[in-house]
Amino acid sequence: MTVVSRGWNRLTLPGKFLFILVPLLIVATAALLILITAFGQLAIDTLAANLPIVRFVVAATVILLITVPTAFLIIYMEMKIIALMNLRIGPDRVGPFGSLLSVVHGLKVLMKEDFTPTGADSVVFTWAPVVVYLASVMTLLVIPFAPGLYGADLNIGLLYFFAVSGLAVVGLLMAGWSSYNKYSLLGGLRAAAQIVSYEIPLTLSVVGLLLLAGTMSLNQLVENQQGWFTDWYIFQQPLGALIFFIAATAEANRTPFDLTEADSEIVAGFATEYSGMRFGFFFFAEYVNVFIVSALFVTLFLGGWNAPFALPAAWQVQLSLDPASFNIGLLFIIALAPVVLTLLFGAPFWLLSSRITWWQALLIGFVLANLFIITLAVAWAYIGLNWVAGILWFMLKTYVLVFTFVWMRGTLPRVRIDQLMGFAWKWLLPASLLNLFVTAAAIVVIGR
Amino acid sequence: MSFVPGLGIAKGMALTLRRFFEPKATIKYPEQRADVAGKFRGRLQLLYDEWGTLKCETCFQCAQACPIECIDMGGIDTRGRYHVHWGPPETYGERREESALRRSGRTVPDPAFRPYEPIDLGEVDRILDEHDYDPAHMLAILEATQEAYGYLPVAALKRISHRTGAWYAIIYGTASYYGHLRFEPPTATDQAAAVDAHRPAESTYIAALGAALEGGGRAGASAGA
Repeated sequence: MTVVSRGWNRLTLPGKFLFILVPLLIVATAALLILITAFGQLAIDTLAANLPIVRFVVAATVILLITVPTAFLIIYMEMKIIALMNLRIGPDRVGPFGSLLSVVHGLKVLMKEDFTPTGADSVVFTWAPVVVYLASVMTLLVIPFAPGLYGADLNIGLLYFFAVSGLAVVGLLMAGWSSYNKYSLLGGLRAAAQIVSYEIPLTLSVVGLLLLAGTMSLNQLVENQQGWFTDWYIFQQPLGALIFFIAATAEANRTPFDLTEADSEIVAGFATEYSGMRFGFFFFAEYVNVFIVSALFVTLFLGGWNAPFALPAAWQVQLSLDPASFNIGLLFIIALAPVVLTLLFGAPFWLLSSRITWWQALLIGFVLANLFIITLAVAWAYIGLNWVAGILWFMLKTYVLVFTFVWMRGTLPRVRIDQLMGFAWKWLLPASLLNLFVTAAAIVVIGR
Repeated sequence: MSFVPGLGIAKGMALTLRRFFEPKATIKYPEQRADVAGKFRGRLQLLYDEWGTLKCETCFQCAQACPIECIDMGGIDTRGRYHVHWGPPETYGERREESALRRSGRTVPDPAFRPYEPIDLGEVDRILDEHDYDPAHMLAILEATQEAYGYLPVAALKRISHRTGAWYAIIYGTASYYGHLRFEPPTATDQAAAVDAHRPAESTYIAALGAALEGGGRAGASAGA
């Protein structure tokens, strides 16, 4: 036994890993630094020269990446909120307040067997969930989350949205047809019938708004709604907003129009034969759809990223805080502020109550100091950065709407298929046409 | 109330929103135990002693203490001689076979149930009539019954319980408390004592057996002889 092998054998398992990883890490870091110094400027120049492409790739990647946490969050919200409405507690085991349970659900779906039935058209069967999921994700590309924070500001943004979300029907039909199961086929056709039927009032309800706004760019639509909340389009198009909301509920397959899945009654319709992550894609697409529909409603009718109030310019705080102006003092602030704040916030607790020991007071002080710093940072970002304020308002409004969708699911019973179809064709379609004509007449009369 | 479209939806949504903020009914079991009911008297359990014999002495105290009279027991008493039962005698174990037969269509043997021999109930009825069917005179009734029959037959006790309305177990308890009341004919007990007294010793018997087998018996037997 040589010295080398004896020394190697004496290492513990983590030691063996570290023995390999640490030198590797050092070498890789050094190589990266050399690469950056050598080709960094070139890379930056190349990227800057192709900014639209870079922007598109980054936007597409980011949007694809945020859909999964969004779906997790909405699934968690659904479990928790409906549980609370049922006087239950809901998920409370995994993570704080059970918030990681949907992640566990996702992992479970990922680990299940990915099964393809005999006789299924395996290519179409595989691609159907991809089409459904992409139809959802691609629509996010045009939604303006904040000033300057959007994938692409298409001048036909709304049209693009409806066109791409219409792709989902293709995916559903693909899933239903390729499963080699008559019930899947029936489920797919039923889902397609529902979505196609509701697409008409959904699209028509927005036409009145387009006449008012004179643009299809979602970014422009949001900018048109700047000012107080009374400038939001929902106050000019209340009927249109109502029709849009109802039709969007049906589009997103949400209760009371969730006949395509109807978990408690039929076996998931078109997704009957799906299992594993392919089913997971359908499942996620459904929840991403909830987010998208809410986001679109907010964009069109609730002022998008605009705050519901517009303070006069004199009231607006102008923050011109340049961290560099502190010079060396900045280092002291960064180093000392947490300690000083912890002591400052902990001191009153220690002084006022003899029951609190010094370490408890320090702990309380630490938590309070962190909260204070975070609040300060968020407030600074809200005032100083336009897009932070925008995204906060946008997400607040969107998740209020998501809550409404979940709330509806916790309340309303499912409609019958003939009620569903009758409502779309006999009530929503005439109502949306009426909305369109009244809006057009008003524009002619008032002469905007 | 006039029909307003969407009013039902609004009402339902308001209801669920109110529920959302209400306190929840769930009890998180392992961390949080449910309150024990005020009536709870502990868990009923048949205990065995260190030799594996049942500790229950059929004293009926548990049945008497049970506030909702849900405890029922049947079988033979600890000395294996007497069929006892809690509750009205005509309802439970005595009719178990009958009801099982009616329900299942076949007889269901009850190894614990030993039928008691019928007796002439005229004497009991007379005694009960004399005492006006009063359960407060139980000791007098039992003594009179023993005088009439020589002992306390099961059938007589059942009759007394049935007619006076006293619980069978109380009658049994009363009867078993007093030493001068007995459950078997005196002849039977006297005879058993006499047999025991006149029985030859075990070693004598074994020696005789060994002799009869001409030393082919057990080794210990020849040594004892």
